[in-house]
Amino acid sequence: MSQYKIIFTGPVGAGKTTAINAISDTPPVKTDAAASDMTKNRKASTTVAMDYGVMNLAGGEKIHLYGTPGQERFDFMWDILVNGGIGLILLLDNTRADPFQDMKFFLDAFSKFINDTSLAIGVTQMDLSNRPTIDDYHSRLQEFGIKPPVFAVDAREKNDVSLLVQALLYSLDPGLAE
Amino acid sequence: MNKTAKTAHPYRIALHGMDSRTSKTMEMYLKGPCRGAAVVAAADEAQIDMIDADHAKAREILDQRKAAAPGRPIILLSLQTLQIDNTFFIKKPVSAEQILGVLDKIGPLLKAAENKPEPAPATPAKPQSAPASAPAAKTVLDVYVKPAKPTKPIDNAERQKTAKHQSAMQLNEGGFTAFLGTVGDIDFDDEAQLPTACYDPRQFFLGYVQSAAKTAGLQARPLRLSSIWKPLYLFPEQNEVWLDADDKQLRAFAGVAFKPGTANNMSLSALDPAAAAAERAPEKYQDLQAFIWKLAIWTSKGRFPIGLDIERPVFLQRWPNFTRLVITPDAMRIAALLVKTPTAPSAVCRVLNVKPQYVFVFISACHAIGILRQSEREADVVIAAPVPEKPKNEGLLRKILSKLRGA
Repeated sequence: MSQYKIIFTGPVGAGKTTAINAISDTPPVKTDAAASDMTKNRKASTTVAMDYGVMNLAGGEKIHLYGTPGQERFDFMWDILVNGGIGLILLLDNTRADPFQDMKFFLDAFSKFINDTSLAIGVTQMDLSNRPTIDDYHSRLQEFGIKPPVFAVDAREKNDVSLLVQALLYSLDPGLAE
Repeated sequence: MNKTAKTAHPYRIALHGMDSRTSKTMEMYLKGPCRGAAVVAAADEAQIDMIDADHAKAREILDQRKAAAPGRPIILLSLQTLQIDNTFFIKKPVSAEQILGVLDKIGPLLKAAENKPEPAPATPAKPQSAPASAPAAKTVLDVYVKPAKPTKPIDNAERQKTAKHQSAMQLNEGGFTAFLGTVGDIDFDDEAQLPTACYDPRQFFLGYVQSAAKTAGLQARPLRLSSIWKPLYLFPEQNEVWLDADDKQLRAFAGVAFKPGTANNMSLSALDPAAAAAERAPEKYQDLQAFIWKLAIWTSKGRFPIGLDIERPVFLQRWPNFTRLVITPDAMRIAALLVKTPTAPSAVCRVLNVKPQYVFVFISACHAIGILRQSEREADVVIAAPVPEKPKNEGLLRKILSKLRGA
């Protein structure tokens, strides 16, 4: 059976774990716990060092929510991670010194996946730092020739995260209806 | 092929500036993709130090490691390209090839260091020679690496502007009518009436606010819009407005069509610095776009703005910031379509099977904040991306959507 995933990425502190927690039906698997288990079993696993949550869907299907490690960038892990992914949620922390640099990095790193699927960007911490604005992000995105949804997001707010994921789905298919 | 791979004697690498998750990832990476060329070891047992040079205290860590283990090879990982004496650099994203390549360079240095005679006990301790060739130089990491992405200072005043940061209100079909009210003289089910289902923003408060916002932006200074109602303060620098009224009051005023001559009651004046800086209730600040957006919704009530041809394609320059706006029924679907493909409003109704008033109210709001354009030239239509094919996993996407919207 295919494993469908939504990938959450972004720099450390952008709220990936919190966002996954906001919409996951189960408490997100803590990386350290998963890592210990895997170490015990002596079995390499892609879930190690990632955040993980799940949404249980009608008919018994599941959608897996994976968060990439933020600080380090291991491309091997990303390759494995995006396999079966239906889209990418990029969370950017507006209090960081240069969120545009972060955005560029992640767009470059996931460019193939984004081209193949879809992208939605959530900008967090805008209540702490209101610059750059959402308009500024859209202006920068013109350089990449893409027009993804870019929303101000409080990763603790289920509604915000839900809307971001909904936008990702509608980007894939505007005709989608419940 | 790298010689280092599958070695019987893996190098021992100490990791620095990495949290436990990243350390665990690196451990797995060395074991897996790097084919066991190295293992993670404690700092006092390691042969090599590996430092995340993007860490907040990277410079400090580098100095510490140089002092604690002089001569030990150091690998720096960074997003920035670094050239620092006596270190080996790997640019992120890290790849196995890069790590193995660097380990191949380090191998002979470690061997040479092993064969070196121990210094005589009586001799004062001297730092061992550096692995590369240059003498130990003062670290320049702080020049190359930003002080670990310092975060910006927290704006406490901004945090108190709660109205600006509250999550979106999503209207379903039932809520739509209750929220907007109805326009009694238009039957949206009658296609013949649709072309006349328009309104002129200039006859409503919306038009004056749009005009004032434009002026404030051009003049780049705070303005006060006075009317027969409450004054509206506009702060273009912060993209904010301040109004001492709740949404219920604003909605009522938004729906009032001004009679000819009422414009005389409207005036726009500059705020002097003292007035601009005067203390105001922080919770009554609103985002300018979000304010105009809802004003447009309450003015439109399901009609489209005059001057827009509903039979000609329109498109969105960008997605609205939905999480901070009032979301009308089917707004996200319409947005997704109009971002991808210029489509006539009348056609949007058919393509998405959406009621005309939902399409019109949405394009009204987008038009009011300046992100909707009508295709002026044939080329706008020609260059438009084709409507994407239905994704293979449409059923799954529907289920996710139901889950999210029902949750």
